[in-house]
Amino acid sequence: MLKNWKVIITVLVFLLLTVNMICLAQEKIVIALQGEPTTLDPQFADDGNMRAITDNLFDKLLVLNGKTLQPEPCLALEWDQISEITWQFKLRENVKFHNGEPFTAEDAVYSIKRIIDPAFKSQISGNFSTITDAKIVNTNTIMIITDGPDPILLKRLTFLDIVNKKYYENSADNIISTEPIGTGPYKIVEWNRGRDITIEQFEYYWNQKPPIQDVTYRFIQENSTRLAALKAGEINLAVNMLPEYLEQLPSYKTVNSIEFYFLRFNTIRGIMQNKLIRQAVNYAIDKEALAEALFLGNAVPARGQLAKEAYFGFNRNLDVYPYNPEKAKELLEEAGYNGEVVELISERGRWMKDGEISEAVASMISDVGINVKLTFLSWQQWLDTLFDLEKAPDIMYSSNGNDLFDMDRFYQAIIKTGGPQSAYSNPDIDKKIDIARNEMDPVKRQEMYEDLAQLVYDDPFGVPLINLKSIWGISDDLEWEPREDGRMLVSEMHLK
Amino acid sequence: MIRYIILRLIYTIVVIFGVSILVFIVTHVIGNPVNTMLPLQATDAERMALTHELGLDKPILIQLWDFLQSIIRLDFGNSWWQQVPALGIVLKRIPATLVLVVSAFALALVIALLLGILAAYKPGTLIDRLITNLSLVGICFPPFWVALMLILFFSVQMGWFYTSGYGTLKHAVLPVLTLSFIPAAHLVQIIRSSVAEQLNSQYITTARAKGVKEIVILFNHALKNAANAIATMFGFDFGRYLAGEAAAVEVVFGWPGIGTLIVDTIGKQDFPLLQAEVFTVALVICIINLITDISYGFFDPTIKY
Repeated sequence: MLKNWKVIITVLVFLLLTVNMICLAQEKIVIALQGEPTTLDPQFADDGNMRAITDNLFDKLLVLNGKTLQPEPCLALEWDQISEITWQFKLRENVKFHNGEPFTAEDAVYSIKRIIDPAFKSQISGNFSTITDAKIVNTNTIMIITDGPDPILLKRLTFLDIVNKKYYENSADNIISTEPIGTGPYKIVEWNRGRDITIEQFEYYWNQKPPIQDVTYRFIQENSTRLAALKAGEINLAVNMLPEYLEQLPSYKTVNSIEFYFLRFNTIRGIMQNKLIRQAVNYAIDKEALAEALFLGNAVPARGQLAKEAYFGFNRNLDVYPYNPEKAKELLEEAGYNGEVVELISERGRWMKDGEISEAVASMISDVGINVKLTFLSWQQWLDTLFDLEKAPDIMYSSNGNDLFDMDRFYQAIIKTGGPQSAYSNPDIDKKIDIARNEMDPVKRQEMYEDLAQLVYDDPFGVPLINLKSIWGISDDLEWEPREDGRMLVSEMHLK
Repeated sequence: MIRYIILRLIYTIVVIFGVSILVFIVTHVIGNPVNTMLPLQATDAERMALTHELGLDKPILIQLWDFLQSIIRLDFGNSWWQQVPALGIVLKRIPATLVLVVSAFALALVIALLLGILAAYKPGTLIDRLITNLSLVGICFPPFWVALMLILFFSVQMGWFYTSGYGTLKHAVLPVLTLSFIPAAHLVQIIRSSVAEQLNSQYITTARAKGVKEIVILFNHALKNAANAIATMFGFDFGRYLAGEAAAVEVVFGWPGIGTLIVDTIGKQDFPLLQAEVFTVALVICIINLITDISYGFFDPTIKY
C-alpha cells in the first residue's frame, strides 16, 4: 500500500512539474511601443521603435554589458588587434539563422560591408564610418580594417546587427524590411500593419532559451492611452511613461537614460564670447530645482558634463556646477555686462518638458540680471539653426544622446571647431580631441578625456542641465531590470 | 447631368494640382528633411550625401517639375523612411479610417435624426431646449478629451472594451462613439432648424388642413425638403473626417488610419509619403463634394444640372 502511494505521489509530482513547465513555456507578454517601426531592417534605419523589436531578433558580434556598458562576446568569441588598423575576430560556431542557414564568416563580412556601402544609404552608417573593409580569414575568423587607430571599434560593433548573407542578398526590399532573418533568441511571426508585430522564441537559438515564449508589440502613440492599457491589464510593459503617472502605474522601473539636456553657448560670435558671462550663466541655473520641480525627481543634475558614470571618458572629479546667483551677479559685473540682449533659442515638443525647462532656465538667467530673450522655433527650424553656425544664437537649448557611450562622440560633434553642432573653437582643444580619438591605450585615453572635460567645464561650452530618467510602466506580474543602454531585451524579462 | 459631372471632374483635377503644388512649396520651406532623418550626431558629410541621394540639392524648379510629373504618373516614389511606394502605404490605411468614419457617421445620423426631429416637432419646449443645449455642449467637448474619459470609464473601470488597437468590435466601440459626438451635434442643429423651418411653411399647414398624417408630414414632406441642408452639412463633415480630421481620435485609440499616418509623416518630413497623403485626401474631399452636389438633385427635383 505504502509503495503504491509513493508511486502515485511521484506520478502526481511529475505531472504537476510537466504542467508547470508547459505553462512556463506558454509565457506571453504584450509590450506597447510609441509607434510603428518604419522597417525591420536594423541595418537601415535609425528608429527606436524598430530597435526595441530588432534587438531581440538579431545578434551582434559583441554585446554591451547592461550595467557597465563594456563590450562582451556574442557572435564573436574573442578578438585581437593585429596592427594599428587591423582587428581579427574569432566567430562562434554552431549558430543558426532563423531560416536554418548556419552562421559563417561570410555572413559577418557581408553584414559589415552592407552597412558601410554608400549605395545602401544606411541612416546609421555614421556609427561605422571608421570601418573601411572586412575580410574572411577562414570559415570562423574575420578581419576588420579601419581608416586609422579606432579605440571605439568594439563598441561600434555592438550596434552592427548580423544578417544572413544569402537571404539579404537575394530578397526584394519589401521582403527584407518586413521579414527579418537574424540569429537572435526570437524570430518574427507576423506584422499586422498599423496594429502589431509578434515575435516568438527561436527553437535553435545558440544560447540558453529565454523564459518568455512570445511577445506582441502594439503601437500606441498617446501616452495616456498606454497608461490606460496598462491599468486595464491589456499590456505588460509600456515605454516612455511620464513622471506624473508614477502614482497610477501598477509598477514601474526607471534608469538614467542617455538623454542629457544642455544649453550651448555661441563662443564664436556675440556676447557669449566672454568667458565670465558664460560662467555666470552656469552659476545662475539651479539644476537640482529643475530635476525636482519639473521631473518630480525623475531626472538627475548633470555632473558638469554630458555623461553618465559608465561612459568612457567620464570625469569623476567634476560635479554639478554650483548654483550661486550672487556669484553670477558678481561675475556679470566683473565682465562689464550692461544689459545687452542675450538670445536663447529653444523648441517645444521633441523631448519631455523641453518647453517648460527652457522657460524655467530663461527666468533663472534673467533673475541674475541678464536681459534674456527666449524664442521657440519649430522642430525643423530648430534643426536648421542647430546645424548652421551662421544662425547660431547666443544660447541654444538642446539635448544630447551619446549612444556609443564614448565621449569622442560629444567632443567631435559639439566641441571641435567645425563639428556639426559646434559653436566652440579652441585650436589646443581640437588637437587634444584628435589625439584622443586615435589613442589605443585606454588609460591614456581616459586621462585625455578627463582633461578635456575639465577644460570645457572651466571655459564653458555651455551648461549641462539634467540627465533624464526613462520610465517604463510594468504590470504586476512582469519582472525586468532596465539596462543602462536602454535596450529592451525580452530575454532578460520573465513573468512572476 | 453628364456634362456637369465632366466639368466638375476637370475642376477636381485643377484643385488637386493646386493643393499638391501648395504642399510642395510648404514642405520645401519648413526646413531640411535630412536633418530630421539623420541622428543629431551625423557629420556634415553624411548630411550632404543624403541630401544628394534624395535629390534635394537639385534646383527647386527642377524638383517641382519632377514632382508634377510624378502626380500625373500617380507614382510618388518610395517613402524615404519605409523604402516602399508611398501611395501603397496611404491606400493600405484607408480601410481603417473608412470603417471608423462611416460607422461614426451612421451612428451620428441616427442619433441626430431622432433628436433633431423631436426638437423641431416641439419647438420652444423643455425637450427642444435640452436637445439644443446638449448639442452645443457636444460641439464644445474636444474629441481627445472625450476619448480619454470614455477609455477611463469603459476600459479601465468597467473593462468592457479595449483601450486601443484595431481588429474587433471591442476595439471599435469607443473610437466610433467618440468620433460620432461632434458630427451628431452638428447634424442635430441643422436638422432641428431646417425641419422646423419647413414645419412653419404654408404647404405643411395645407397638408395638415387636408388631414395628412403627422408622421407622413414629418418624414415625407418636412424632412425630405430639409434634406439638402442636412446633406450639405453631412458631406462637409464626412469629407473632413475621412481626410484626416479624425486624426486626434485615431491617435488616442492607436487606430491605424490615415490620420495617425499623416501625424507621423509630418513629424518625419517624409516628403513622398506626405505628398501621396495630401493627394489622396484632396481626391477624397473632391469626390465627396461631388456626390453631395449630385445628391441635391435627388432630394430636390427643381434643381437641374
